[in-house]
Amino acid sequence: MTKGDKILIASIIVLSILSLVYIKNIALSDGESYVSIQVDGDEIKKIIFDKKIIGKTIPIETEFGYNLVEIGDKRVRVIEADCPDQLDVKQGYISRPGEIIVCLPNKLVIEIKGIGDDGDGDVDYISH
Amino acid sequence: MHNIKKTIFLSLLVSVGLALSIFETMIPLPFIAPGAKLGLSNIIILITLVVFGFTESLMVGVMKSITFTLATGSVSSLFYSLTGAVFSCIAMYLVYRNLSNIFSLIGVSIFGAVAHNFGQILVASLMMKNMKIFSYLPVLLLTGLFTGYFVGLTSIYISQNLKTHFKDIFPYGG
Repeated sequence: MTKGDKILIASIIVLSILSLVYIKNIALSDGESYVSIQVDGDEIKKIIFDKKIIGKTIPIETEFGYNLVEIGDKRVRVIEADCPDQLDVKQGYISRPGEIIVCLPNKLVIEIKGIGDDGDGDVDYISH
Repeated sequence: MHNIKKTIFLSLLVSVGLALSIFETMIPLPFIAPGAKLGLSNIIILITLVVFGFTESLMVGVMKSITFTLATGSVSSLFYSLTGAVFSCIAMYLVYRNLSNIFSLIGVSIFGAVAHNFGQILVASLMMKNMKIFSYLPVLLLTGLFTGYFVGLTSIYISQNLKTHFKDIFPYGG
C-alpha cells in the first residue's frame, strides 16, 4: 500500500460521499410527484399519487417479463417479479422524486418524478 | 514447448476465474447495495496482467465473460460482464504501465473496479435509455473500493508466489 493508494482511496470516498449528498439534495426537491413506469425506455404508465389508489396493485406484463407494482401512500414498490435475482423486490419502497427501481432482466424502470419536471430526465447531473 | 505451457496456464486462469465467478453468485450480499459484487474474478485478470501482459489479460477477461454466460445462461448479462471486463482491463493496464511507481497493485485494482462499475452503469443507462441510473454510481464506487482493495491485496500475494515458484513459465522471468 503506497502513498498514492491511500490518496486514491481517500479521494474516491470523499467524491462518492459528496455526490451522494448532492443527489440526495436534488432528489429532495419539494412538490407534487408521480410514478413513471418505463419499459425498454418508453413510458407506458403515469400514476399520480392519490389517497384513493393507496394499496392498489398494477401488473406490468410485457414481452420482457412480469412485475407487480404496488402503490402506497406517496410511495411505490415492486412486490412480485419473475426475474431471477429479485433485486427490484428487495429494494422496497421509493418515495422521493429522482429515486428509481430498476429491473434489468425485464427492462423495467420505475421512477418517481416531480410534476413540472421536463419528464425526460435528460439532465445528467452526476456522470461527470 | 514454452507456448503450450503458456496456453495451458492461461486456460487454467480462465477456468479459475469462471469458478470464482460462479462461487461468487452463491454468496449473498444483502447488507450492501443491490447489484454490488465481490469481483473475485478480477483477481485473475489482474494476475494475468501482471504476469503475462495486456493482450493476455484482455483475452482471459473476455473468455471468462463468455464462459460465464454459457455456464449461467443469462445472455443479457453478457453485455454487462463483457463491457465491465474490457473497461477494467484497459484501465488497469494503463495505470499499471504508466503509474506503477505511484500505485501498488491495490491502487491498480481499485482503478479496475471503478472502471468496471462505470462500464456497467454505462451499458445499463444505454440499454434503459435513462441516464439517471448514473445516480447509483457513487454507491457502487464505495463498495467497489472495499472489494478492489482486497482484490489488490490478494493479487500482490498471488503474483509474488507465482513469480517465485513458476519462474520458467513467465516471459519476463519473474
